[in-house]
Amino acid sequence: MGWGFRNLLRHPLRTALSLAGIAVAAAMLLDMVMLSGGIERSFARLLLSRGYQIRVTPAGTLPFDAEATLPNASRIRDRLRADPGVAAAGAILGANVHARRGDSLLTLFAYGIEPDAQGIYEVESGRDLHRGEADGLLLSGAAALALGARVGDTIRLTGRLDPQLAGSGADRTLVTRGIVRWLYDYRGQRSVGLALGTLQEMTGRAAGDRVSLFMVKARDGVDPAALAAALRRQFPGAAVNSIADLVAAFRVRMLYFRQLSYILGTVSLLVTVLLVATLLTITVNERLGEIVTLRAIGVSRLHVVAQLVAEGAALTILGAAGGVALGLATARYLDAILTSFPGLPAAFSFFVPRADAIALAGAVLICTGTLAGLYPAWRASRLPIAATLRAEAT
Amino acid sequence: MLLALLIAAQLPHVAVERRLAADLALRVGDTVVVAATAESAGMRAVVGAVFEPAPDPASVLKREYRLRLHLPDLAALLGAPDRVDRFGITLEPGASADSVARRLNAVAFGFRAFPSRAIAAESSQTFLVVSRFHRAIAVISIVASAVFLLCIMLLKVEERRADAAVMRFVGVRRRTIFGALVLEAALVALTGSVIGTVIAFGAGALTNAYYQRLFQTSLLFSFITPGIVLFSVALSLLLGLGAGALAAARLVRTRPMVLWGRG
Amino acid sequence: MSVLVARDVTRDYPMNGEIVHALRGVSLSVSPGEYVAIAGPSGSGKSTLLQVIGGIDVPSSGSVELLGTRLDTLDDRALTRLRLLRLGFVFQRFHLLPVLTALENVELPMAEAGVPRGERRERARSLLDYVGLGTRGSHRPTQLSGGEMQRVAIARALANRPAIVLADEPTGELDTATGADILALFRRLNLDGTTLIVVTHDDRLAAEAGRVVHMFDGRVRS
Repeated sequence: MGWGFRNLLRHPLRTALSLAGIAVAAAMLLDMVMLSGGIERSFARLLLSRGYQIRVTPAGTLPFDAEATLPNASRIRDRLRADPGVAAAGAILGANVHARRGDSLLTLFAYGIEPDAQGIYEVESGRDLHRGEADGLLLSGAAALALGARVGDTIRLTGRLDPQLAGSGADRTLVTRGIVRWLYDYRGQRSVGLALGTLQEMTGRAAGDRVSLFMVKARDGVDPAALAAALRRQFPGAAVNSIADLVAAFRVRMLYFRQLSYILGTVSLLVTVLLVATLLTITVNERLGEIVTLRAIGVSRLHVVAQLVAEGAALTILGAAGGVALGLATARYLDAILTSFPGLPAAFSFFVPRADAIALAGAVLICTGTLAGLYPAWRASRLPIAATLRAEAT
Repeated sequence: MLLALLIAAQLPHVAVERRLAADLALRVGDTVVVAATAESAGMRAVVGAVFEPAPDPASVLKREYRLRLHLPDLAALLGAPDRVDRFGITLEPGASADSVARRLNAVAFGFRAFPSRAIAAESSQTFLVVSRFHRAIAVISIVASAVFLLCIMLLKVEERRADAAVMRFVGVRRRTIFGALVLEAALVALTGSVIGTVIAFGAGALTNAYYQRLFQTSLLFSFITPGIVLFSVALSLLLGLGAGALAAARLVRTRPMVLWGRG
Repeated sequence: MSVLVARDVTRDYPMNGEIVHALRGVSLSVSPGEYVAIAGPSGSGKSTLLQVIGGIDVPSSGSVELLGTRLDTLDDRALTRLRLLRLGFVFQRFHLLPVLTALENVELPMAEAGVPRGERRERARSLLDYVGLGTRGSHRPTQLSGGEMQRVAIARALANRPAIVLADEPTGELDTATGADILALFRRLNLDGTTLIVVTHDDRLAAEAGRVVHMFDGRVRS
C-alpha cells in the first residue's frame, strides 16, 4: 500500500534536506563518472573528426610533442600511399613564423599542409588551398584578428629571424584564401596554414624534406589497429600510433583526473549510504510502536522490510533526479575551469554529458541508496514485538 | 685497457638521469651512442655522471628522460652550431630584473627577455588551473557537507523531541535546552574535525607515497599546512555549530505538547 | 471446544539487570463467543499474558493452544499468518499509521492477506460504518479524536474476520464518555458472536465481561 513512500511526506523539512544531500552526492557522482571517461572520449572524437585513424611521428614522440621531425617525407608518403590498406596519407609540418603588424613582430604557429590529404582544419570562410598552391594562406580567427587581415589580404611572413644581424630571412608574401578552424588549436591560438613545401623552404627544412608527422586514413573495411601494426613494421624508425594508442598514452597523462574521479565518486556513494542509513535508522527509531504493531496485526517481516527499503529507495531516486540537473550544471562549471589549461585544444571537454554516464551514475546511486536502507529495515523487522511494546508504554 | 681508457678520455661526456641509468643499467664510465634522430648514426659518448633532476611538476606526467651534454657537443649533434634556445642571466647585486629585461627588449630582434619570475608564473598556469579545480571541488564538498550536517543534526535533535518536551514540562528554560543541544553539536563537530584531520594526514601520506612511487619523483602531491588544518577545523566547527543551532532553535520554538505528540 | 487454552505459562524477562517474573504459572481457557476481561493492578502481568496468548511474545515455559494449534510448533511466518487471519489486536495507544487514512488503516490487514482491492475497500467501508465512522474514512488519524482513533483500530482488528479479538487497555487513553462508547462497541461485537479477551484496569469494562480473570503479581487469583 506504499506507506513507506508516504512517510517521506510526514517530515517535509527532513525529507527536503535529505533529498538535497542526496542530490549533491548524486551530482558529484555524475560529474566524476563523466570525468573518468570524458576527456579520453573527447580526445578520441577529436582525433577521428576528419577520419584519419593513424599518426606517424618521429620515434619516441607523440604528435607535436617535441620539435623532432621526420626526414625524406616524400619517400615516406609514397610508401604510405602504396600500402593497400591506406586510403589517404598527408604530411604536416609545424613551425613558428613571424609577421609584422606596424612596429610589432607577431609570432604565429604555422602548419605546413597538403590540402588534398589533411585532417587538422575546417574552412569557415573563404576557401581551402588548392593542391600545389604555393602562395596561399589560411588563418585562424585569432590570427586574422591579430593581423587585421581578411580573405584576399596579402600577408608577409618570415621564416627565420637573425638576432645578431637584426634581420630576417626566408620571407614570403602570401594571399589569405580562407579563415579556418584548426582542430587542435587552443583557444585564441594564432595559427596559419600554408603549403608544406613553402613552409619547408621558409624554415630551412626543405633540404632534408622534413615534416612533423603524417596522418593516415585506412581504407573502408581495413582494421586501423592492424594497419598501424603493419606500418610499424614498415617504418621501424618512426612512431606509428593508432587512435587507441594515442588515447592510451593520453590516459597516462590524465591519470590524476581518472583517479580523482574514482575517489570522489566513491566518497559520494559513501555520503549517500550514510545519509540514507542514518535517516532510515532514526525514522525507524521514531516509529517503533507503529512497526511492531504492524507485526502484531500480522504484517510479515518481508513486507515491513520492503516498505522501509522502498522509503530509502524513493528518497534516493528523487534525490538522484535532482542530482542529474545539478550535476550537469556543475559539470559545465568544472569543465570551464579545466579547459582553460594552457595549450589544451579548444575542442576538448573534460566533462562530456552522455546518456550512459547519467544512467550508470543513477543506477549505482539508486542501488547503493536502496541497499543502505536494508540494514535498518532488517533490524526493524526483527524487533521483539512484546518487548518493544513494553518499552513504548514506559 | 690503456687504449680503451685513452679512447674513452677523448669521447665527449654525458650526464644521464638516475631513472634512465636504472632503466638501461648504465653506470659511470659506460659508453653510449647518442643520436638526434632514430635514423642517424649519432656520436659515442661516455657516461660521466648520473644525476637526479630537480623535481618538476610540469614534466612529471610526461615521464621524459633527461640527458645533459656540453653545449658544443649538443649543437654538433643537432647540426645546429652556435644555436641555443635561451640564455640564463645573473645580474649584479642590486640590479632590477624588470628594468634589465626592459632594456634588452628595447633593442631585441628575434628574441625576448623575461625576468625568471615571469617565466615561473607563466609556466605555473597549469597548476593554477589545477588549483582552481581543486578549489571548486572543495566548495562543492563544503556545500554537500553543510547540507548533510544540517540534515543529520536535524534528525539527531528531532530524536530528542520527547526528552525536550519533558524538560519543558518540568520547567527547564528554552535557553538551557538550546545551549545543551548546541554544546552537543559543538562537541560532535570538534570530535569529527579531529578525526577528519587525522584521516587527512593519513590520506595525504598515502597519496604522496603512491604517486612518488608511480612517477618516481620526490615531488610532494599532498601537503597539509597548519593553515589548512586551522581553516578546515574552523569551517567544520562553524558548519556543525550552525547546523546544530538551526536544528535546536527549531526544536525549542515548538510547543511542548506538540513535541510530546499531543498538540 | 475452547478457542484458547493456556497451561502453566510463565514469562520472565530481564529489566535493569534483574529478572522480572511477569507470569508465574498462569492457566486459562476461553470458549467461543466468550467475553473475558483480565483485570488487575499495574504490573500484575495482564498485558504480558495477552501478548503471550496472542503469539506476540514467547512464554518462558508452559504452552498456549490457540484455535487448536500449539503456538510453540509454529515458526515466525506461520505465527504472523495466524495473527493476520485469526486474531485481531486493539492497543491502548491505537497505533494507527498516521500516513494512511482511516479507510486505508482498516484495509491494511486485508491488503496483507491478499484480498482484492475492490473487495477490501468495500469491507473497510462497512467496518467503519459498523463502528460509527462511516463518514470519516478519508480522514487521517491526526484529524480524529482519541475515541475515533480507537474505533478505527477496532475496525482494523475486525478486517480479516478474526476468531478472537484481543484488546490491551482499549480505554486507557480515553476519557470517560469516550470510553463508554468503546464499551458499547465491544458489547455489540460480543453480541454479534466475536470472542473477546480484554485486558483492563477499568472496572466498567470488567463489569461488561461475562467472566473476569483477576491477576496479581503474575498469578491468577482464584
